[in-house]
Amino acid sequence: MSIYKTAVNKPISTFMVFTAVIVMGIYSFIKIPIDLYPEIDPPFLSVMTSYAGASAADIETNITKRLEDALNSVDKVKEVQSVSSDNLSVITLEFSWGANLDEATNEVRDVIDRIYDFMPEGADRPSIFKFNTSMMPIVFYAITAKESYPGLDKLLEEKIINPLNRVEGVGSVSMIGAPKRVVYVDADPRRLDAYNISIEQIGNVIAAENLNMPSGNIKMGEMDYQLRIQGEFSESSELINLVVGNFNGTPVFLRDVAIVRDSLKDLSLDEKINGQRGLRMFVMKQSGANTVKVAREVNKNLEILKKNLPPDVEINLIIDTSSFIKGSIKNLSETLLWAFLFVVLVVLFFLGRWRATFIIGLTIPISLIVSFIYLFLTGNSINVISLTSLSIAIGMVVDDAIVVLENITKHIERGNSPREAAIYATNEVWLSVIITTLVVVAVFFPLTLVGGLTGEMFNQLGWIVSITVVTSTMAAITLTPMMASRIMKLREKKIKPKKFSFQSTIEPLLNGLDDYYESLLRWSLKHKTLIIILSLTVFVSSLMLMKFVGTDFMPQTDESRITVAIELQTGTRVEETMKIARKMERIVRERYPEIEIMAASSGSDDAGSMFSLFSTAGSNIINMMMRLQHVNDRQRTVWEIADDMRQQIAQIPEIITATVSTSGGGMGMGGDNTVDVEIYGFDFNTTNKLAEEIKLKLSKLPEATDITVSRKNDKPELQVILDKDKIALHGLNTAVVSTMIRNRISGTVTSRFKEEGDEYDIRVRLAEQFRSSITDLEELTILNPMGKKIKLKEIGNIEEYWGPPAIQHKRKERIVTVKAKPNGVSLGELAKKVNLVVNDVKVPQEVLIQVGGAYEDQQESFMDLALLMLLSLILVFIVMASQFESFTMPFIIMFSIPFAFTGVILALLITGTTLSVVAALGAVLLIGIVVKNGIVLVDFTNLMRDRGMKLYEAIVVSGRSRLRPVLMTALTTILGMLPLALSTGEGSEIWRPMGITVIGGLVFSTLVTMVLIPVMYGILAKSGERDKVMKIRKKFQTLD
Amino acid sequence: MKAVYIVFNQAHTERVEYILDRLNIRGFSWWNEVKGRGSVDGDPRMGTHTWPEMNSALMTIIPDEQVEPLLEKVKKVDEINKEVGIRAFVWEITAAV
Repeated sequence: MSIYKTAVNKPISTFMVFTAVIVMGIYSFIKIPIDLYPEIDPPFLSVMTSYAGASAADIETNITKRLEDALNSVDKVKEVQSVSSDNLSVITLEFSWGANLDEATNEVRDVIDRIYDFMPEGADRPSIFKFNTSMMPIVFYAITAKESYPGLDKLLEEKIINPLNRVEGVGSVSMIGAPKRVVYVDADPRRLDAYNISIEQIGNVIAAENLNMPSGNIKMGEMDYQLRIQGEFSESSELINLVVGNFNGTPVFLRDVAIVRDSLKDLSLDEKINGQRGLRMFVMKQSGANTVKVAREVNKNLEILKKNLPPDVEINLIIDTSSFIKGSIKNLSETLLWAFLFVVLVVLFFLGRWRATFIIGLTIPISLIVSFIYLFLTGNSINVISLTSLSIAIGMVVDDAIVVLENITKHIERGNSPREAAIYATNEVWLSVIITTLVVVAVFFPLTLVGGLTGEMFNQLGWIVSITVVTSTMAAITLTPMMASRIMKLREKKIKPKKFSFQSTIEPLLNGLDDYYESLLRWSLKHKTLIIILSLTVFVSSLMLMKFVGTDFMPQTDESRITVAIELQTGTRVEETMKIARKMERIVRERYPEIEIMAASSGSDDAGSMFSLFSTAGSNIINMMMRLQHVNDRQRTVWEIADDMRQQIAQIPEIITATVSTSGGGMGMGGDNTVDVEIYGFDFNTTNKLAEEIKLKLSKLPEATDITVSRKNDKPELQVILDKDKIALHGLNTAVVSTMIRNRISGTVTSRFKEEGDEYDIRVRLAEQFRSSITDLEELTILNPMGKKIKLKEIGNIEEYWGPPAIQHKRKERIVTVKAKPNGVSLGELAKKVNLVVNDVKVPQEVLIQVGGAYEDQQESFMDLALLMLLSLILVFIVMASQFESFTMPFIIMFSIPFAFTGVILALLITGTTLSVVAALGAVLLIGIVVKNGIVLVDFTNLMRDRGMKLYEAIVVSGRSRLRPVLMTALTTILGMLPLALSTGEGSEIWRPMGITVIGGLVFSTLVTMVLIPVMYGILAKSGERDKVMKIRKKFQTLD
Repeated sequence: MKAVYIVFNQAHTERVEYILDRLNIRGFSWWNEVKGRGSVDGDPRMGTHTWPEMNSALMTIIPDEQVEPLLEKVKKVDEINKEVGIRAFVWEITAAV
């Protein structure tokens, strides 16, 4: 018994099976996490090695080079990059996408074990660091306070951070720019000298006094007492009364030689929120946790926790990555609903039957819901890609049901009982339904095999569309006949239809369309040459237009946030940097009312928090983060604001370089679209000069903006050069002298002040006014072992010096990268211009220049897509050739494909969209969608000819009869994608190009193929089919 | 005794079964999926891609007086829609064991 017969005969079982599917789908739907993109583990490993005291160049030769050489042999490593800076070497290994990072980590560890013995003594064991998307913070808060600012650190730690850490899914909560309490002992060197006291002495005294010591037990009578000595300070003010030495028999108190400040740590990072003192707090999620859920829980908990804070502390949200995700998902869900509505309306329009429309509409939710089961089983999330896939699928899943139901209706109208009509009508079409589905799968399934970043992103799309389309076919040959047998009935033709009924309104319209198409076909068959020439002209001229279409990697999205990184002259002190930051804040407040909240941090947090891994920091760096109003509430786009901001920044002379970024800084795949000029070469001077030259030339290009050079300027340093003979004479050595200098300038921490379970550093050093010039340095007093006071200038001199920059490597060679962002043009165009510039530059023989960056990724992805297209074309041809058992037929049908591309080019040009990876993917998918129309048409024409009609008659009759089904399936797909192409909300930039390409290609190719394919059929099928009868006669000649 | 050979479009199956029941005809031989083509008009029933429909056929040996009602019913079925198609042919049975 066949599957459709079983389905019709056992309606309850069928119904139950599909109910089970729906129930499982809904269960999965509830369980699936929501995210912006499919979880992609970036295939990167970092190896970090610290070697204290080594300069960048030392690190490069002793650590980085050796490790690089060894690590290069690790399996599947694609590229090795490194940065050697003072004290630290960081090597980044890039693997092929989809490589098993666990295996790679083990192998890297083996390599390190092998090489470790050959590394310098003082170097630490290299540590392996695996980068994960879940390490990116998901929410940022700006916290401001007035009176409570000094104690904010502790307050937040207790009242907010600890409770938040308990929220499920929260990885960690950290703060940037939190004020830290430190007890400073600022000594006066002249008084120290006068009293014969050194900084070290003070430190030792403090350490010796600030002490609690258990001193054993004492047994008295019946009791056993613990003996303890309590010396720890309970107040920081106790410090000033410490006796630090003796002078001429009188005790010298600490207050005599120093000032004690119980205060906030000296400024190295300044954090301002909307110009007010404050700090930033950020939350990272655990790997695999649901971003949206964690962010929601954190926000909810924070609302409650806020109430425990003093009234002057304000907490504001700066960035909530989940809001963009939620917005995108909501937007796409709305898109899906609209698509559903449109598709149902189209079906109703063409069939004019409520019941039929209901049966067909039913296949949509069933097919779509199956994809949720797939997502759940594979541990994926609901994201932009999966929802876009559903949008693509929604117009296609009804096609099979339409074909089946149309045939059933035909049988019912012939007077058969619905039950039999359902069985026999399905029997007639089920095979061809399966084959058209195979064609679609032939295009979408290869997507699951594509490698690289494109593959990682679009595998899901391939799976989802394949699964939903296959499910829809299953539903079309089981559920549809079953439902039809139950609820369809013979409709009596009304003699006098009502005025507004289907028969008197839409049907004449459709009949008129049929008539017009028939006459058009007859005319074209008489003017075949003209038609062919005309179509060829259209196709070729559209290819000419292709060069006006720009290319991009990924569409940029308006995520309502801007981040600005400003770099001042290297070595600028943080106080100066702050002034520029205040200036920027003023500009932002005046010019951009769209910006709701702004956090600016100047300088660096020397504690080296987790966050500093993701952004550069230094006393000359300003990082600004801004949140804008919702996309729909403002006139200017984020890009317009960013452009204006760049112009404003250009007017501030102190700013050396600045980057204004509008994307989430690696939050998603969007990232920054840059063209990178990579300059390989050993000599710093040559490559620096080249980099500057290229930067200058690029900055003259109107197409390029935000040009940055990766190698930072040399750092100004002061070096103390000791005279070895003289220090030896005084009984000193370099180690002793440098420790003493360090204690005087940076300070010595010998003890910690304890209060309420927290410890604060007690830092002893010279007061600031005595350590802020070269003369001050020269006047530093060094004590020799004999207790003799020696001035630093006696044993050495101080020289200004430019320290070498951090050294970057790529493919084991020194490299400088000049990055440029496109300004109002596409990435491909900028790359072309940059290539021209680079070709102009005179390059010394030992230097190699390459153009890469996002442009490289784009080229790679386009190559992947081109391969994919080829694969799809071949598969589609295979499916069709075996279906028709002919090489001619698939050839005729494939004539519609070039016109799909014509449509794509036109659509891109008209809407001004660039050809990004997403748009290109849309073009590839078109192959499957477009070919479907041709199959329906050619199949039916073959049928008519086999039934004995003459060639032209067969073409015209089948054209007329198939016009409606073709229009219907094309329209459902087009209207299904229309909301996608038109949506303007959050995140719509990502998928809009796909909607535009599919609609453009499909509209155009449908129009052209409805004429061109019959004409091609008329030309190519002529000889083969006509001689069939003659051939058979010849074969059996002997019988005549 | 007469033999009645009815050949009909599969889509008529339920109606034919009903007729047999209604006329209390117990014995018959039934062939499912029979290919065929009408002598005058009508689409061939070949079960191919070109002609996807199929016929079924049944032969029943019945007393003479039952033949007339049976043919009448067959005609009624045919009247519903000529396109679907049902035909009956009758011939004499001379002997049976």
